[in-house]
Amino acid sequence: MTAMVPASAGSSRREPALGAVEQTRRKHGDQLLVGRGGYLDDHEPPGTLHAAILRSPHPHARIRSVDASAARRCRSVRAVVTGAEALSLAEPLPHFFDPSLVGGRTTTVRVLAVDKVRYVGDPVAAVVADSLADAEAALDAIDVDYEILPAVVDAEDALAEGAPTVFDEWGDNVLIRFPFAEGDPARALAMAPHVIADEIRIQRYQTAPMEPRGYLAHWEPTGKLTLYASTQIPHPLRTNLSTIFGLSEDRIRVVATRLGGAFGHKFNGYPEEPLVCLLSRMTGAPVKWVETRADSLLVGAREYIHRFSVGFDDDGRILAITDRIIGNIGCLATWGGWSMTYPAGMTLPGPYLVSDYDIESIAVVTNKAPWNGARGYGKESATVAIERMVDLVAAELGMDPVEVRRRNLIPPERFPHWTVAKHLDSGDYRGALDKVVELAGYHRQRELQRDAREQGRTRGVGVAFELTPEGGDFAGSYVRGFDTSTVRVSPSGAVTVLTGVTSLGTGSDTGIAALVARELGLTVDAVSILQGDTDSCPYGFGNFSARSLATGGGAAVLAAREVRERMALAAGVLLDTPPEGLVFAGGHVHTADGGRSIAFGAVAEQVYRRAYAVPGLDQPLLEATKVDRPRNLTHQPDEHGRMSAYPTFPYSTHVAVVDVDAETGQVRLLDYTCVEDCGVQINPRFVASQIYGAIAMGVGGALFEELPYDSAGQPLARTFTQYLVPRANDLPAIRLDHQCTPSPYTLLGTKGAGQSGVGGAAASLASAVNDALAPLGVRITTMPLSPPTVLRAIRSGGKP
Amino acid sequence: MIRTSLRYHRPATPEESTAILVEYAGDVVVLGGGTMILPMMHRAEVEAGHIVDLRGLGLATVTEEGRYVRIGAMVTYGDLLDSDVVAREAPLLRRMAGAITGGNQLRNLATAGGAACYGNPSSDVPAVLVALGATMCLHGPAGERRVPAAEFFVDAFRTAVGGGEFLMWMEVPRLVVEVGYHKLKLCEGSGPIVTAAVVRDGGRTIATVGAASVTPLRFDLTSCVDSGVDTVDELIRDGVVNPWTDVLADGRYRRDVAGAVVRRAVADLREG
Repeated sequence: MTAMVPASAGSSRREPALGAVEQTRRKHGDQLLVGRGGYLDDHEPPGTLHAAILRSPHPHARIRSVDASAARRCRSVRAVVTGAEALSLAEPLPHFFDPSLVGGRTTTVRVLAVDKVRYVGDPVAAVVADSLADAEAALDAIDVDYEILPAVVDAEDALAEGAPTVFDEWGDNVLIRFPFAEGDPARALAMAPHVIADEIRIQRYQTAPMEPRGYLAHWEPTGKLTLYASTQIPHPLRTNLSTIFGLSEDRIRVVATRLGGAFGHKFNGYPEEPLVCLLSRMTGAPVKWVETRADSLLVGAREYIHRFSVGFDDDGRILAITDRIIGNIGCLATWGGWSMTYPAGMTLPGPYLVSDYDIESIAVVTNKAPWNGARGYGKESATVAIERMVDLVAAELGMDPVEVRRRNLIPPERFPHWTVAKHLDSGDYRGALDKVVELAGYHRQRELQRDAREQGRTRGVGVAFELTPEGGDFAGSYVRGFDTSTVRVSPSGAVTVLTGVTSLGTGSDTGIAALVARELGLTVDAVSILQGDTDSCPYGFGNFSARSLATGGGAAVLAAREVRERMALAAGVLLDTPPEGLVFAGGHVHTADGGRSIAFGAVAEQVYRRAYAVPGLDQPLLEATKVDRPRNLTHQPDEHGRMSAYPTFPYSTHVAVVDVDAETGQVRLLDYTCVEDCGVQINPRFVASQIYGAIAMGVGGALFEELPYDSAGQPLARTFTQYLVPRANDLPAIRLDHQCTPSPYTLLGTKGAGQSGVGGAAASLASAVNDALAPLGVRITTMPLSPPTVLRAIRSGGKP
Repeated sequence: MIRTSLRYHRPATPEESTAILVEYAGDVVVLGGGTMILPMMHRAEVEAGHIVDLRGLGLATVTEEGRYVRIGAMVTYGDLLDSDVVAREAPLLRRMAGAITGGNQLRNLATAGGAACYGNPSSDVPAVLVALGATMCLHGPAGERRVPAAEFFVDAFRTAVGGGEFLMWMEVPRLVVEVGYHKLKLCEGSGPIVTAAVVRDGGRTIATVGAASVTPLRFDLTSCVDSGVDTVDELIRDGVVNPWTDVLADGRYRRDVAGAVVRRAVADLREG
C-alpha cells in the first residue's frame, strides 16, 4: 500500500487560516508546581499489596533450580511466583516490535526467566507481601541455583568468531542488519580526490526520567482487570495483556497515569506489566510495583560505534559516505529499544545531498540489559556521526565548517526529496544554518576564539545540523502512524476531547485542547482533554516519535469540525438563518452580519432538549470521532526500492561554544544557540520547552551521562551519584529561534517537536570540543567527553 | 525499602548512647543526618536491627570553646553556612560547605560529622578537617577519646571510630591562618574528584589533598611556594602513590589532575 501524496494534494489538506491558536500555559500546570500532580505511586487503593522482583545477579547463567519455599514462609508474604510456575499462568509476551517482522531474529520472552538469565537484572521470581519491605526481605529467602555461563558485554567481542552466544539457537549475536545504500559508493570513494576514514564511539546512556516506571494492577474476582501504569502506550499494553492472559480486551482497563518524564523509557513491553496483573490474580488484591532507580538505570538506550569513510572534493563537496554502525542493544527483550538501530542508519546521510552512500546498521545482542526507546531514537547517533564527518572534511581542507555544511545541504528547491529510506517533506536547511550563524554571532565567536587562544585558553566553537525523522509508522506492529480522537459536547456546552494519543507532560494535551477550542470559537478553559484511559478513550497508539499533534491533534480538529457543522445546523434553526455563514467565536455562534448570536452552550442545550421536536433540529449527535495521519508514508518499496516509514522531518541547527580546561579536561559550555524548524507551531511555549529539554539531554549525553559495565558484565551506575545528569549550572542560557517550513503532509503543517535537539546538542558539543583541541593536534572519537576522557586525549598529544 | 525490623533509639546522654552501641554491636547504626545511611539501608547495602539517633544529645550547635570552634556531630552543612562563628573563625569550613554536591535538601539534612564518619574517600569533608588540624572527639566505653583528624581517616570507608564509639564533635583550632580551596568535580551533580585545601600558618604552607587517595594527603609546599619554582605538580604526583578509583574517575585521572588542583588552591589563597 503506497500512501504518498504529492505536495500539491497535501497542501490542499490545510485549511484556510483560522484565528490564532490561543496561547495558554499548561493545563493543570499549577497542580504540578505545588506537587499535587498525582503520579502512579500516589495511587494506593485500600488493601494494596506490594511486589518485589528477584533479579539475576549474573549476566549469563543457566537456572538449574529455584527454591522459593522459604520465601513463602516469610512475614506477610501472600504469594511467590517463579518462572517455571508462571509458564502455565501467562503466555509469552508480545514484542513491542518483533524484529522478525522486518527480517530479524527473535526470541520467546516469558514474564519471568525460565531456563536462562541473560543480563544482570533479568527477572527470575517475584514476591507479594503486605509491605514492600517484607516483599524485598523475602527475596533473600529465594534460593536460585545458577550455572554461570560465559558472558559477552562488548559488541565487537560479540561479533567475533567463537564468542559466547546470548541466544544459542541463533548461532551468533547478530539480531539484524539494516542496509541503506544508493548509487555506487565504492566507485565514488575510489574516484574522490580526498577520503577520510575514522570512527566515533557513543557510550551507553539513557534518558533518566525523574519518575521511574510503576504499575498497579487489580484483577477483581469478577474477572475485570484494571492496570494503572506509568506508561506512554496504554492501548497496545491492554492488547498485550489480553494476549498474555487470554482475557478478552473489553474486560481489561489500562489507565496511563500522569507521567513524570517518559522519553521512550515508558514504552510498553516490559515483563513487570503482566507480572503485577498475574500477582493480583494470585492474591485477589491490588498489587503495586514501582521501579527503583537501580532498576531504572538498567535500561539501556544508546551505545554505538560508527566506522565511516567520507569522500569529498577540493571544494568540500561530499561525494560518498560509508558507515558501518554497530549498536550494542544488550539482550533482546520484548521492550522495543533494539529498533533504534533502524533510524540510526536510516537518518543518514542526514540533511546533505549525497548520491552515493552505503550504510549498514547492525543490532548486536550482548549480556547487558536491553534497551528501551529513548528520545532521539538512534537519530541522535546518526547526527553525531554525519556531523563528525563534515567537520573532518572542513578540517582536512582548512575550510570553515559552516561553509562545508552550506555547500552540501539539500537546497530548498529539491523538496520533497527522496533518499533510499526517507521522503524528505520540506525545508529550508540553508536558511536555518544562516539563521543560527547570525543568532549565535558565529563569526564574532570565531574572533573571540582567536583572542582566547592567544591568551592560552582552549576555546572551541562547534556547529551541528540535526535532521529528526518523526511520526514513524510501522505496519504489522502496534507502532502506527495514525490516531483517533473524539470531540463531545455536553448539554451545558462543555467540550471533552478523548484521544488515543497520550501526553508525557510535554503540553501536547493543552495544544490539542487549544486546537479544538479554536475550531469551536471557545477558550482553552472550556475544553477538557481525556487521555490514557482505555475505557473511555478511542483506541490509539499513545506517545512516541513526536506524533501527538500530527495524529491525535489532527483527528481532534477533524472531529471538532464535524461537531461544529452539526451545531451550525442547529444554530441556524435557532437563529432562523442559513447555517453556512455562521461564525463560532467568543463562546457564541454569530450570524454572518454579526447582528445576532446565541451562546455555544445554549445551542447544545437546545439540541439535547428539543431535537426531533423542533423542525430542523434533527442532528442530536454532538459527538464525532475521527482518524488522522500524516501523509507521506510509503509502506512498500517503490520501483526504485525506496520507502519511507517517517512522514515528517523537523530539523534544527546548533552552535556551541566551549572552553576546555587543558589541565583537567573539564569542558565548560559557555554559549549555546539553536534554530529549529518543526513546521507550524501550535504553542511556541511548549515547543521551546521541548527544545530546551532535548538540548539539556544531548549535553548530558555528550559530556557525562554513562551506564558503564565492568568486563564481567556488572552494571556500575546504580544511583544518580554514579549516573550524572546535567543540572541548571551545567547549562548556559539557551538562545533559541525558529524557522517555519510547514509540512505539506499534515493537517496542521506540524512536523513534531519532541525529539529535535538531542542529536544537535551532542554533535555540536563533540564538534566544539574537537575544535578546541585541534591546535593541540588532538581529537576525541569516544563519547562522553568527560574530563578523564578529554584529559587522556590531551596528554596523549594526538597519539592513539 | 528497609527490609529489617528496626528499633529506633533516641538516647539522652552519651553514656546511654554508648551502652546501646555496645549492646547491639554489629547490628546497630548511628543516625546523623541520614542522607547516606538511610538510602543505603533502603537499598539493602547496610542491614541493622537498631538505629541510634543522636538528635537527643544536643550536638547540633557550633560554639566557641577557648582556642577552638566546636562543631557538633549533628551540625548540618546549612548550619555551617549560617554560622557567624564559622564564617569568622573557620572560613575554610564555610567554603567547603558552600561547595558540596547536592541541593537544599542535602544541605539541610546532611552533617559534616556524618560525612567524616562515613569515610568516603570521594568526600569534601575529610581533607578540610585534616587541613585545619581538627580534633575528632569521640565518646565510647572508656569515655571521651580525642583523635587528630589526620589519624581519624584510616582507609576507604574506615575511620578510627571503634566499638561502642560515636562522634560527639569536631574541634577546629581558631588560628589566624590564610586558606585557599579548590574542588574539582566532573559536573554539578558529581561528587568531588580531587579537592585541595591550602593553609598558610606562620612560615609554612601546607596543602591537604582530598579524594585523590583513600585518605587525605598532606604536602608541605613551603619550599616550592617560597622559591617560586613550580615544582608542585611533581611533588603532588609523586605523593599520590595509591590513587582512589571509583565509577566517576579512575586513579590515573585523579593523580593527573591533583597538581593542578593544588596550584589552584594556592592561587585562591594568594587572591585571598
